[in-house]
Amino acid sequence: MVDRIERLTNLLALLLETSEPLSLVQIASELDGQYPDDDKARRAAFERDKAALRDIGVPIDTEIVAGGPYAGQTRYRVDRRAYELDDLELAPDEMRALQVAVAAVRTDAGRDALWKLGGALGDEVPPVSAVLPQRPELPAIRRAVAVRAPIEFVYRGERRTLDPWGLLLRGGFWYVIGHDHGRGERRTFRVDRFEGGADGIEVGSPDSFERDPSFDPRTAFPADPKQIGDTADERVEALVRIDALRAAAVERELGADRVVERGDDGSVLVSVPAGNTTAFRSWVLGLLEHAVVESPPALRRQVIDWLAAVAASDGGTVRR
Amino acid sequence: MSGPRNAEDRLRRLLVMLPWLMETGEVPLAEVARRFDMTETQVQNDLELVAMCGLPPFIDEMIDVFVDDGVVFVGVPRLFTRPLRLTAPEAFSLLASARAAMQLPGADRDGALGRGLAKLAAVLADAGIATTNDSDDTAGVVVDLARPELTDVLAESAATGSELAITYFSPARAEMSSRAIVPRHVYTDGGNWYVVADDDRSQSRRTFRVDRIESAEATGRTVEVEATSPPERFFDDVDVPRVTIRFGPDARWVLDQYPIDEVAESGDGWVEARLPVASERWLARLLIRLGPDAVLVEPANENPAAAAARTVLARYGEA
Repeated sequence: MVDRIERLTNLLALLLETSEPLSLVQIASELDGQYPDDDKARRAAFERDKAALRDIGVPIDTEIVAGGPYAGQTRYRVDRRAYELDDLELAPDEMRALQVAVAAVRTDAGRDALWKLGGALGDEVPPVSAVLPQRPELPAIRRAVAVRAPIEFVYRGERRTLDPWGLLLRGGFWYVIGHDHGRGERRTFRVDRFEGGADGIEVGSPDSFERDPSFDPRTAFPADPKQIGDTADERVEALVRIDALRAAAVERELGADRVVERGDDGSVLVSVPAGNTTAFRSWVLGLLEHAVVESPPALRRQVIDWLAAVAASDGGTVRR
Repeated sequence: MSGPRNAEDRLRRLLVMLPWLMETGEVPLAEVARRFDMTETQVQNDLELVAMCGLPPFIDEMIDVFVDDGVVFVGVPRLFTRPLRLTAPEAFSLLASARAAMQLPGADRDGALGRGLAKLAAVLADAGIATTNDSDDTAGVVVDLARPELTDVLAESAATGSELAITYFSPARAEMSSRAIVPRHVYTDGGNWYVVADDDRSQSRRTFRVDRIESAEATGRTVEVEATSPPERFFDDVDVPRVTIRFGPDARWVLDQYPIDEVAESGDGWVEARLPVASERWLARLLIRLGPDAVLVEPANENPAAAAARTVLARYGEA
């Protein structure tokens, strides 16, 4: 028996070069001695090879013979035009730019793509780089966005149908934004929270919807990330005193227009949306003793009670 | 150098290597190995294997490649003269990388990346990534790497080897420090920006969060540029202490946000997870934010949250 790579390479060469689609019997006879003689074992080995080739991206066409003595038989071939990468004629500076891009965002898939385009990663380390989260769901969602096909997936235990308008990477997470059929309005979903991974996504028929031409994922994204999948009352505003140590950082985070008052001690009083109490509390407590809620009184009281409960838990030995 | 492992990976790599070799004709084995991230032995073995491949009856229609005295030679280019089209994950990765690179400080000043991406449109369409009739076929993927203002200054310093005097807020000690650093690498991960720099205070290479740098000014001193890769993340370090926490349903976001060693579901909606702790103050901050939605299991008698909560309460005049 030949090495598996040898058989796979021969199979691929045969399917690429054949003028007519070939049946498994014909393939096995051409690749004499490379497939098992036993029918069942041969079929199993061929199916494994076919899956391996498809897995690395080889488009294998199948056709079923319609009439004659071989009616019903399946035949295989690889369409050379579908197999081969188009010649892109990238200019040297364009290739260099792509190499720099892939070097700055190192992924195996990006490196493989570069190889196919005739480029390669150098040994040079770029001075600036980005780590992008890799999610197996992304290629399927991106394809659905491109061909305007709805997707179905499970999110927080619920089946959702979405016309995906765009993908957005922000704050270290991938989001898909689109029109939610069940809710009848625009919704944003975090891709890493899709249940069932890439296999859990069902892509519908292409050209099923029109994207609003003015749609821009950047502005469509909810201002408060905690709103994702929900809505919150945006009218509640809290006043928070930030001490001098963190004042500059918080001002940078929120924007100078959120500063209501500047203290002589370097502190600032900022106005912060607090419609989503959980999100607000988490944010303000993240600043520890550098932030104090001044109003509204009810919210201030809630934060104090929360802190008092933690303070009383001393040792945290109470198990639930 | 990892190299391909199983038959599928090896074939995948061969199918990009062969067209490149056929176009190049004659290449030192060492260069092939370096380019395709393999050892010379791996390249040699795989090429010797495919040299036995071709079309039936396997006499003259063969892949014409051989290795002699450390050099790869290609005879008549036939079979696999063109690379395989991009797969959907490859095309997506390329698109996302290009989108991200356009967002990096100082990137793509002359627009070459944009032009290259436009030429890629047809290829992206091949992989079902874009439709050719779309005028802006990549509009559906947006990468937002919003960065603090000082990021550009730090990136520029890394590229020129300039020393900077900075004030830095250290959350672990809740204090400001002044130090001189020479930035070596600037990167973004998980929504935050970091700078790897040679730090005069600790006399070592340290990683700083850019948004905690309050100010940065050139000292005028420059040193040789030394590019470095992003560091291993702190949590990969086995010396970093670990804690075990039980998280309630409303605290599950922590599992997405922070590195986790182990997670065990307990069936009642709560999960127990082991995670590395950057500092005691970091742990206190996390537990205060989570309140009743988290319980420190181990080490239970070293819970820093209660004391930290009392410090915050003092600011409210309540302690």
